[in-house]
Amino acid sequence: MAQYLTRNALDPAQRELQTALRAGAYLGFKQALSLPPQEVVAEIDASGLRGRGGAGFPTGRKWSFIHAKEGQTVYLLCNADESEPGTFKDHYLIERDPHLVLEGVAIGAYAIGAHRAYIYMRGEYASLAETLAAALREAMAADIIGPNCMNSGYDLRITIQLGAGAYICGEETGLIQSLEGRRAYPRVRPPFPAVHGFLQEPTVVNNVETLACAARIMAEGAEAFKDHGTGRSAGTKLISVSGAVERPGVYEVELGYPLMEFLQGEAGGIRGGRGLKAIIPGGTSVPVLTAEEAAPLTIDYESMQSAGTMLGSGGMIVFGDDTSMPQALLRIAEFYAHESCGECTPCREGTGWMAWVLRRLLAGEGRPGDLGLLLRVGDNIEGRTICGLGDASVQPVRSFIRKFRPEFEALLPEPVQAVAWQSHGHGPRTGRFGPPAEEATRSEAVDGPPTAAL
Amino acid sequence: MLSKDALREIEAARAEEDSPRHALLTALRVTQGERRQVGPEEITYIADLLGLSPALVQGVARFYDQISATPTGQHVLSLCRGISCYLCGADEVAAAVGELLEIRPGETTADGRFTLRLVECVGDCDRAPAAMVDDRFVGPVAAVAIDNLTKM
Repeated sequence: MAQYLTRNALDPAQRELQTALRAGAYLGFKQALSLPPQEVVAEIDASGLRGRGGAGFPTGRKWSFIHAKEGQTVYLLCNADESEPGTFKDHYLIERDPHLVLEGVAIGAYAIGAHRAYIYMRGEYASLAETLAAALREAMAADIIGPNCMNSGYDLRITIQLGAGAYICGEETGLIQSLEGRRAYPRVRPPFPAVHGFLQEPTVVNNVETLACAARIMAEGAEAFKDHGTGRSAGTKLISVSGAVERPGVYEVELGYPLMEFLQGEAGGIRGGRGLKAIIPGGTSVPVLTAEEAAPLTIDYESMQSAGTMLGSGGMIVFGDDTSMPQALLRIAEFYAHESCGECTPCREGTGWMAWVLRRLLAGEGRPGDLGLLLRVGDNIEGRTICGLGDASVQPVRSFIRKFRPEFEALLPEPVQAVAWQSHGHGPRTGRFGPPAEEATRSEAVDGPPTAAL
Repeated sequence: MLSKDALREIEAARAEEDSPRHALLTALRVTQGERRQVGPEEITYIADLLGLSPALVQGVARFYDQISATPTGQHVLSLCRGISCYLCGADEVAAAVGELLEIRPGETTADGRFTLRLVECVGDCDRAPAAMVDDRFVGPVAAVAIDNLTKM
């Protein structure tokens, strides 16, 4: 287990400013304040830090997009909405090392020329918001954050905002909308937040872990960061592993760490000594891996990409060999159906239909064309929505069906019975075995659209 | 309708930005906390307070799962139904808790103490099956005796 970001996180006293300061807290911020902002951006750029929230976009590059005009207010928004199923790394960081998070926010704000920053936390993290608010009060009382931070002449105001329960608020423009007091309907890009963000002002949205990395980088240098990880995947990554493992939890690993070593070592192997069936490596929005596919991989952006999936948020969900993959997929599909914000028709309707068809398959009421129908609904969502939620909802459906097809086929009505039906004189296109998928969609819609049942 | 503390919190949010809408999310949260619902009366009240239209306030209120249109019980017991919790027996836990409280998800106990909710991933997957009593994480539920949950 690497000890770069989390080296102080095991000490509960780390939440208190004095302990944190002894462990080096805010040295990175101090270093940043001694440099012009563009040099801070250059240092982060040189480190190769990529966004840790899921998309993996280079952080230095994101910061360099800010070109504020006279009279504009620049905002840094820290995304602590962590809602990707199976992800709880920011939970861990905020709970255990809140000053590291605040330091990262301060550095990010300084680098982009912002004097205002918000930390937007999901409503369920209200107890963590208290921890963070207490740390912020201490840092403000010590004149580290506030007007004239550490006597540098730089002013910064940080506000913690709690959400109220909606996955889509973790999408950066959804977060902005929510913070503005609107429904969190994502916005069409361009214009990007760097140009028209919060209250139409230039805005950067960064994940908690990304900013915490920035704090370490400013304290210890880009080179020390690059000592960890591999070429294009620099640094360490917090992996939150859960599901069928003996030791679920948050572990910091070097990027490039062998996946199986992690699973058997840190995660303690599969629960109850069972075999591995599948792994979702980066939250439910990325394609699933079979045990065979996962075996040779390493935990980094490139290796995951080579296997057709993504490191994403590092929310690793492990499935033991006793898992019913269709059942598990239904649970995931229901999540997206529930969390689709409703702004774009393909996602609002499609996620509902995918859950609906899976539910009927599992209830023994599947129709012969149902697997094709599921995949086609997915095709009609992907690429046709404003934000990534729609695309994300398709990844599990497509990858589960493709990789565990026999389990899904076993739910379909048996063709032998269909022959028997025909011999009784029923038309082949009636009843359970009848309508091809397109007709099934329409007739089902008459029975009752999936949205009514959700 | 709201306490002085609640009004102060809303006022603080309002002072943050030159946009009355910005305070709406905080106003909804604070109101839900004190009134245990944001129904028609609360919506009119918040709209007046912030100078927004009631339709706008309602539209935003109904978007968020934690803002309730009808009163919740004294406490909200949220059981996570996320994929990780599902893999750790969340369905069985939900059934057992429902039986114990004699209610179904979304309902409130007859004595008004508990509202039971099944919620999507709460980000506490290492303590699966995860659960929350109001804002407190109390998982794993299998380890906490289930009837303990209702004594909190």
